[in-house]
Amino acid sequence: MEHRQRAPIPTSITIAALLFLFVPLGLVVLFSFNSTGSLTFPFAGFSMRWYRQIAESPEFRSAVTNSAFVGLVVALVTLVLGTLAAYGLTRASTRWRTPIAVLLFLPLTLPGLFLGLSLLVLFARVEVTLSLATVAIAHLVYVTPYYLLIAVAALQRLDPALEEAGADLGGNGWLVFRRVTLPQVWPVLVSASCLAFALSFDEFIITFFVIGPDSTLPLFIFSTLRRTVDPSVNAISSLLLMITLALFAFAFLLTVRGARSRGLSIEPEALGSGSR
Amino acid sequence: MTGSQGSAPRVRLVDVVKRFSDVTALEAVTLDVADGEFVTLLGPSGCGKTTLLRIVAGFERPSEGRVLLGGDDVTAAPPHRRPVNMVFQRPALFPHLDVAANVAFGPRIDGLSKAEIDRVVGEALALVQLDGFQHRRSHELSGGQMQRVALARAIVNRPQVLLLDEPLSALDLKIRLEMESELRRLHREIGGTFIYVTHDQREALALSDRIVVFNHGRIEQIGSPNDVYRRPASPFVARFVGDANVIPVEVSEGGAEPAEVAVGAHRFPAPSVDISGPAWLVLRPEVVRVRPPSGDGSLRGVVQDLSFRGTGHSYRVTVEDVPEPLKAEVSGGEAFAIGATVELTWEPEACRLLPRDPGAD
Amino acid sequence: MASLAEAPTRTTERAERRRAKPLIATLPAVAWLLAFFAAPLLVFLVYSFLTNELYAVGLPFTLEAYADALTSSLNRTLARNSLVVGLLTASTTVIVGLPIAYWLRFVARRSRLAVLFLITASMFASYLVRIYAWRTVLGSRGLINSALERTGLIDEPLGFLLYSRFAVVVALVHIFLPYVVLVLFAGMGPVSEGLLESARDLGANASLLWRRVLLPIMAAPAFSAFVFVFILSSADYVTPQFLGGKDGVTLGVQIQQNFIAVGNWPLAAATSFLMLLAFVAVYAIGSFALRRLRLHDIRLES
Repeated sequence: MEHRQRAPIPTSITIAALLFLFVPLGLVVLFSFNSTGSLTFPFAGFSMRWYRQIAESPEFRSAVTNSAFVGLVVALVTLVLGTLAAYGLTRASTRWRTPIAVLLFLPLTLPGLFLGLSLLVLFARVEVTLSLATVAIAHLVYVTPYYLLIAVAALQRLDPALEEAGADLGGNGWLVFRRVTLPQVWPVLVSASCLAFALSFDEFIITFFVIGPDSTLPLFIFSTLRRTVDPSVNAISSLLLMITLALFAFAFLLTVRGARSRGLSIEPEALGSGSR
Repeated sequence: MTGSQGSAPRVRLVDVVKRFSDVTALEAVTLDVADGEFVTLLGPSGCGKTTLLRIVAGFERPSEGRVLLGGDDVTAAPPHRRPVNMVFQRPALFPHLDVAANVAFGPRIDGLSKAEIDRVVGEALALVQLDGFQHRRSHELSGGQMQRVALARAIVNRPQVLLLDEPLSALDLKIRLEMESELRRLHREIGGTFIYVTHDQREALALSDRIVVFNHGRIEQIGSPNDVYRRPASPFVARFVGDANVIPVEVSEGGAEPAEVAVGAHRFPAPSVDISGPAWLVLRPEVVRVRPPSGDGSLRGVVQDLSFRGTGHSYRVTVEDVPEPLKAEVSGGEAFAIGATVELTWEPEACRLLPRDPGAD
Repeated sequence: MASLAEAPTRTTERAERRRAKPLIATLPAVAWLLAFFAAPLLVFLVYSFLTNELYAVGLPFTLEAYADALTSSLNRTLARNSLVVGLLTASTTVIVGLPIAYWLRFVARRSRLAVLFLITASMFASYLVRIYAWRTVLGSRGLINSALERTGLIDEPLGFLLYSRFAVVVALVHIFLPYVVLVLFAGMGPVSEGLLESARDLGANASLLWRRVLLPIMAAPAFSAFVFVFILSSADYVTPQFLGGKDGVTLGVQIQQNFIAVGNWPLAAATSFLMLLAFVAVYAIGSFALRRLRLHDIRLES
C-alpha cells in the first residue's frame, strides 16, 4: 500500500546518469571484441584477437601476477588489522576514541598525489628499495579507511544486547567475539576485504611513485596509453574492468545473502542507510 | 566480608552509587534480596532501575559501593564470572543459531557433554513450553516465543539470580498477560531468585513478592505489593503505583482519634497520625463515593468529566480549594451528568496522610 | 567495611581504563598509519623547508621553496585551473547527485537495489579505464565526432571535446559521481516519507519542498561530498595529462613533473602543502558558513 509519487525529473536524471556512467565503459568492452583496430562504428566483426595478443605478452602476464599478489596481501592484512581496528573503535568509549578514529579515516581525504610523494620521500630517506613490498605498504594505508567505513558500520548495526547476552551467559571477550560477533558480521568483513583487493588491484595514483622496476596492471595500462593508440588497450581495460566488477559483485551478493539468511531486510545495508 | 553462605542474602547492594560523567544515575542504593524472592524494581524511565540491574549483571560498574552475591564480593567481577543471567528487553537471540543452540550457549561454555547439553536444553525448553522448537531460527518465532527462548537461555544455567530487564515491554497486551502468569509459574517451579525491572506498576503488583519503587536514582519505598499500594510512603509512590488523588491539606488535630484535616473551609476526619500542619491526603479513586448533594457538610463539587467503565463510571469532579479535579471510580448505580453538583465521601480509614513540606507545591 | 569509602576515585579510573581497553585492538592499524601516513607527511613537510641543490637537498632550512611556489606565474595559472576543475567537478556531481539520491530514497521501488548495485559497481570501475574510455568517446576521431560527421551535422571534428578542461571535468565527474550519490543517499536515509508528506500536506510544491525542506537537511552531507570531490579532483594529476589541453593542465601535474622530471623535491613539497592549506581553508570557510546558517547539525527523529 506504499504510495509512491511519480517524479519525472529525478527519474530521467537517474537514467541519464546510468547511461553516462556505463555507455563509455560498455564501448571499451565492445571494441575489445572488434576484429579491426578501428574505434568507430560500424563495428567490423567479432574477434578475440586482442585478447590473444595480450595473453601472449609477458609484460602483461607479470603485471597481472604482480597486481594479484599485492592485492591478496593487502586484502588479507586489511582483514586482520581493519577488523581489529573496527572492533576497537566501536566497542571503546573514552576520549581517545575520536583522535584515533580521525587518524584512521584521514587517508580518505588526502589526495593520492601527496601520499605517494611523501612515501617516496620517506622511502628514499630511510633508503628502502622500491618494490612490490613498498606498493603493498602504500596500498594498506590507502584501503584502510574504506575497509573501516564498511566494517565499523556493520559492527555498529549489531545489537549490543547480543554481545552482552554472550558475556552474561559466561563467555569472555574473545569467546564472545568469536562465537557471537564474528558469525553475524563475517560476510560483510569478507566482502569488505574483497573490495580492498579491488581497490588495490586498480590503484595507480600512489603506486606510480612507490613502485620500483616492477609493473602492475594499472601501470602497464598507463604506459600503453602513453605510448601508442594500441587497440589491445581495449582488451586489457576490459579485463581489468571485469576483474574488479566481478569482485564487487561477489562482495555485494555476499552481503545481501548474508542479510537474507538472517531474515533481515534485503536492503544492501553496507552501501548506505536506505531504511524504509 | 565473612557472612556465611546460609544467612547471607542472595544479593546485597551496599551504598551503590553510579555516575555517568556529570549525571548521577544512582544515589547510595542499599538493598538486600533474599533467596527465592521475586523482587521488582519499579520506576519511571530514567530512574536508575535498569542501571542497578546492569550493575548486578556486571555490565556496569558502580562508581562507589559494593555488590555481593551470596556473600561474595563481585563488585569487580566481569559479567561472565557472575552466577547471574539476564533476560533483555529485546530477546537478543543470536540470529546465526537455532533455538537449541541459543539455549545451549551457556552450557557449552561450561563444557558440559553433548548428552548433558541436550538434556538441560530440553528441560529448559520444556519449562518455557517450547518443546519441539529446537531447530527453529529466531526469525521463525513470534515475539512471545522469542522472549520464551531468551528465558530458557537464561535459566538453563540455573543461575543464582535471574535478572529480567522489562522483558515484556515489547510484547502485545494479550501476550504480555500470558507471559506474566508464565513467569509466576516459572518462579514457583525453579524456585530461584528473580530481580525484575519494569515501569509498569500493574506488572509489578501482579508478579512480585516485594516491590522497590525508584525515583531519581533513589529508593522511595520497599514493600510488599499490598504495602506499597495501601500504604504509599510518598506522594510519588501514591501516584506512580495505582491511581491516586493527592490533595494538599492541613492537619488540625493529628493526635486525635480520628484526626481532623481541612481543605479550605471543609473539615473531615482521617486516620490518626503524628503529623500536624501541612500534609498530603492520599485517596484512591475506588474509595471515593459519589452521591447527590444532601447538605450534611460533605465535600461538594461539580462533575467535570465522566466515562463509562463497564462495571461502573469514572468521574473527575472539580472541588473548590482543591487544585486538581478529584478522581472517583464508582461501580454500578446511575450516572451523574456533566455539570451536576455532587457530594464526595469516603471512609476515614480508607485515606492516608503523608507529611508535606509547605514550601513545595 | 572501612575500605568502602576510599574506593571511588580508584574505581572511576578503573572504569575509564576498562572502557578504553578495546582500543588496544586499534593499535596495529594505528601504528601502521603513524609509520606510513603521519611520518611520511612529516618528513615531506620538513623537505619543503630544505634548500634545493643540484641533485640533492640539504640544510639550511629556508622558505625559498614556498617563495618560488608562490611567485611563479605558471603556478598561479595552474592553481587557477585546478580550482576551476575542482569546483566544476564538485558542483556538477553534487547537483546531479541530489536528484539521484532523492530518486533512490523516495521514488524507486523494485529497481532500487539494482540501481544501487550499478552505481556502486561503477565506483569500482577502473580509474585509468574511465580516462581511456573518455578519450575514445571525445577524441577527434572518437565516437561523438565521427557520429556527428557521419550524420553531416559537422564538417570537421569538434576540437573542444578532447584536450580541454571540458574533457577533464567530464571524466572526473564520471569518476566521482558514484561516491557522491552514495554519500547523499546515506544522508537522505533518515529523512522519512512522512516528513515529505507533511510538507506537501502543508501546501509545499516540489520547488518549495526542495528549498525549504530537503536542501537544508541535505546541506551538511552535500557539503562533505562537495569537499571530498573538490579535494580529490583538483589534486588529480593523471586525468589532465591524458585529457587536458592548455587550460586543462593543473597544479597536480606540475607537482608531479617537478618531482619526477626536474627533481626539485622541496619545491614539489612546498607546492603540495600550499595546496593542502588551500583545501583546509575551503573546508573551514564552508563549515563556518554551515554553522552560521545553523545547518551543520540537523538531527532527524527516527
